[in-house]
Amino acid sequence: MRPSPPPVTRLNFVQAINAALRQSMELDDSIFVYGIGADKKSAIFGSTAGLVQQFGPKRVFDTPISEQGLTAIAAGAAHAGLRPVLVHQRVDFMLYTIDHLVNWIASWRYVSGGRATMPLTIRAIVGKGWGQGPQHSKSLHSWFAHVPGFQVVIPGSPADAKGLLMSSIMSNDPTIFIEFRSLYAMQEEVPDEPYFIRHGQALVRRPGKDLTLVVFGATVSIAMEATEQLEKLGIEVEVIDLRTLAPLDMATVLASVAKTRRLLVAEMGWLKFGAASEIIAAVCEQMGNDLAARPKRVGWPQSFVPTSPALEKAFYPTAENLTEAAKICMADGH
Amino acid sequence: MMYLIRRTEEVLMAEYHPADEMRCPMHFCVGQESAPAALSLLVQKNDVMMSHYRSHGYYLGKGGPLPAMVAEFYGKTTGSNGGLAGSMELGSHEQNFCSGAIVGGSMLIPLGTAFAHKYRGTKDISISVFGDGSFDEGITYESMNLAALHKLPLLIICENNKYAANTDIALRLGNPRLLPKVEAMGIPGEVVDGYDLEQLVGVLADAVAAVRSGGGPRYVEVETYRFCAHVGPQPDDYLEYRSTDEIAEWRSKDPLGRLRAQLMADPAASRQVAQIEAEVEQDVAAAVSSAKTAPFPSLEWALGVNWANTYAPIVEGFFREVQPAFRGGQNETRLEPF
Repeated sequence: MRPSPPPVTRLNFVQAINAALRQSMELDDSIFVYGIGADKKSAIFGSTAGLVQQFGPKRVFDTPISEQGLTAIAAGAAHAGLRPVLVHQRVDFMLYTIDHLVNWIASWRYVSGGRATMPLTIRAIVGKGWGQGPQHSKSLHSWFAHVPGFQVVIPGSPADAKGLLMSSIMSNDPTIFIEFRSLYAMQEEVPDEPYFIRHGQALVRRPGKDLTLVVFGATVSIAMEATEQLEKLGIEVEVIDLRTLAPLDMATVLASVAKTRRLLVAEMGWLKFGAASEIIAAVCEQMGNDLAARPKRVGWPQSFVPTSPALEKAFYPTAENLTEAAKICMADGH
Repeated sequence: MMYLIRRTEEVLMAEYHPADEMRCPMHFCVGQESAPAALSLLVQKNDVMMSHYRSHGYYLGKGGPLPAMVAEFYGKTTGSNGGLAGSMELGSHEQNFCSGAIVGGSMLIPLGTAFAHKYRGTKDISISVFGDGSFDEGITYESMNLAALHKLPLLIICENNKYAANTDIALRLGNPRLLPKVEAMGIPGEVVDGYDLEQLVGVLADAVAAVRSGGGPRYVEVETYRFCAHVGPQPDDYLEYRSTDEIAEWRSKDPLGRLRAQLMADPAASRQVAQIEAEVEQDVAAAVSSAKTAPFPSLEWALGVNWANTYAPIVEGFFREVQPAFRGGQNETRLEPF
């Protein structure tokens, strides 16, 4: 018998994050949430709203501006078997903690010879838009994915945000969970009940036979928009949302490219030495001779995010950029 | 315990270069055995301890098995960390002991485990051990502030041997007095002569009791001295970073030598000393020989331990039973242009 589909409610991205935190905390007393302003009215852009009222100050609390020390609390608490959720309002602030993350947390299980676990989640928000500038707009997903030991999660829609955050909190590996603030108002039908998405399972957001478009995080929505424009031109694009960079679901990407023989990858981050480059390299190593056209990347130029609205608009990749890049992929090759 | 630590280090130092089978940097603790030995009398198995990279004494003091430690230095499967940590990141998962190679890092785990003790309402405590070099690092102050703010059951031990590697404390700190810095963070503390064993045990016992009774974090600074080099079995005094007079003065105060002389004056005690020394000799020799013959781990195994790839039981159950309703985790909602 086919199970009936779960009941859903239309939520925006930040409501989905909030629901994920609330339901996780209801399921497991070992989960606590902390970060600057977590228990205040502002509630980290609303993402922690109502949690302190429901779970009390022991499990939801504000902090000093001590990113390193806060990360130490997460590391030790996770080592002791709790499931901490640390929230940084900007990814950029995490750079204070790069020693803790890379030298200690990521390698903790390895160094223990596979005995220890580090079940912590770090939510970090990317301030894309509104002139956030060089120190408030970095994503750095590729940095984290470069290091063994982390799970790197970047949801592209509200339903995924809920399922991926819940599975990240309940995972026994340290997880960097990157949220684009620019997606917080995006709406989608989100399952009401607790649910979990396995890490390393890409989502085929739309099937197509002509071109594989690999995206994640903030490039998902522009990819869907570009796809509709391309459909009108008779180009059927298969959109693959990676959801997690570590673990990386190359099997789904390779299966798609085997069908389309054309590959375009878009990321909201620096292209040099980045995730898109890694995916193209891995595809070329596996099936470079089978490609019908040269693969292509869309992302940030090797420069900092400008604050001037005119420059910012020109800097970030758009649906139009993806449409143009897709046309080039289709015109290229043999 | 002091003798066990001292003799283990001596045997390992003698073994290190000629055989060249321990292929990892090792920071021996000859001269600094008193603090880990004193703590060994005071800590429980469920207490969590993290030390700096001069870790051998603390590993043994926390109850870590000697054969697994030596095997770890040899990089063998029987090592306490499966051969993946070596000396600098030595740990004993079963005995709740860990250490690490980066100065300042030994506040990392104990701060959070202390948080966990309080969160769960247990009587366990956490102990962070670092050297005076950690006062050069910002994380030390941040961690102390958080421990004080949350009144965590954390015992902070600073082994002040005056040198960070080969640099004198006076060349590193504008104010080389450490205790006032800690007190300024809201943590009470004490400075104790690490070579006065009776005083050392007394001060540490009081501090452990205060922390265990929920009084918040405590700090104990143990004045001590390293007879051996910063790293490796060969002396590094040819670098002339400390005076020969200073070294001779501390050596003359060696608490292990004085304790032994004291005990040997008593016939009953001297028999016990001889017995302990013989046992230690045997244990260390056995640990070295079993480490030498144990197998190396495989790279294939090592590459597989970075991630657990597991979830809390409730999630595993969901993946098994509920997920089919979600069409294999793939929701097919079409996103609207955004």
